[in-house]
Amino acid sequence: MADLEKIVNFVTKTNWILFLATSLIALTAMPQKVYLGVFIGGLIVAVNFHLLKQTVIRNICHERVMEKGSSLVGNLLVKYYIRFAISGAVIFLLISNHIVHPLGLLAGLSVVVASMFIATVIELTRILFKEAV
Amino acid sequence: MEFLVGSVWAAGLAIGIAAFGCGIGQGLGLSGAMSGISRNPEAAGKIQVNMLIGLAMIESLCIYALVVSLILMYAHPALKGAVAALGAH
Repeated sequence: MADLEKIVNFVTKTNWILFLATSLIALTAMPQKVYLGVFIGGLIVAVNFHLLKQTVIRNICHERVMEKGSSLVGNLLVKYYIRFAISGAVIFLLISNHIVHPLGLLAGLSVVVASMFIATVIELTRILFKEAV
Repeated sequence: MEFLVGSVWAAGLAIGIAAFGCGIGQGLGLSGAMSGISRNPEAAGKIQVNMLIGLAMIESLCIYALVVSLILMYAHPALKGAVAALGAH
């Protein structure tokens, strides 16, 4: 359990670090529209992940699941889809008004996936290294 | 004109198929998590963490599809040329 919590904390930290790093790189080396895409895309997914974490931790627990008369739909799914709709609307406005460069936005939106990939590679390396020892 | 119609069709299909797949994936994940917690309440914490990662991955896929479909409709690289050609005719 502690290992799993460590992985989620690692992913959360890496999200913010990658977001700052990619934003800084885009700010210094890319045109303004690409920078805006990376910055806003990274911010959207990092905030989304943070909110998703809060929602899941609050609602997917033994007490909430076994509680009589309470439905997870209101707490989990409605919040989930409201968050998703807001993200979709923001992305729609950004692309349809040509405020950001689409490739920059895609790069920014990949921050969470990249940090999960890094966490997976580190865990796999640790497992392989342990087995080798 | 066919180019624009094709782009809109592709955008609609892209987000439709992605939402279909992501919806099924999320439903299966949530259903498995709920039944797992009901059967073994002590495992709730572990299930929580794994579900969080899974949901975030699925959500990213759907957001990618949304971005691709929006690019096809509003920011297609060849859109200006196609509109200019349509205007010339």
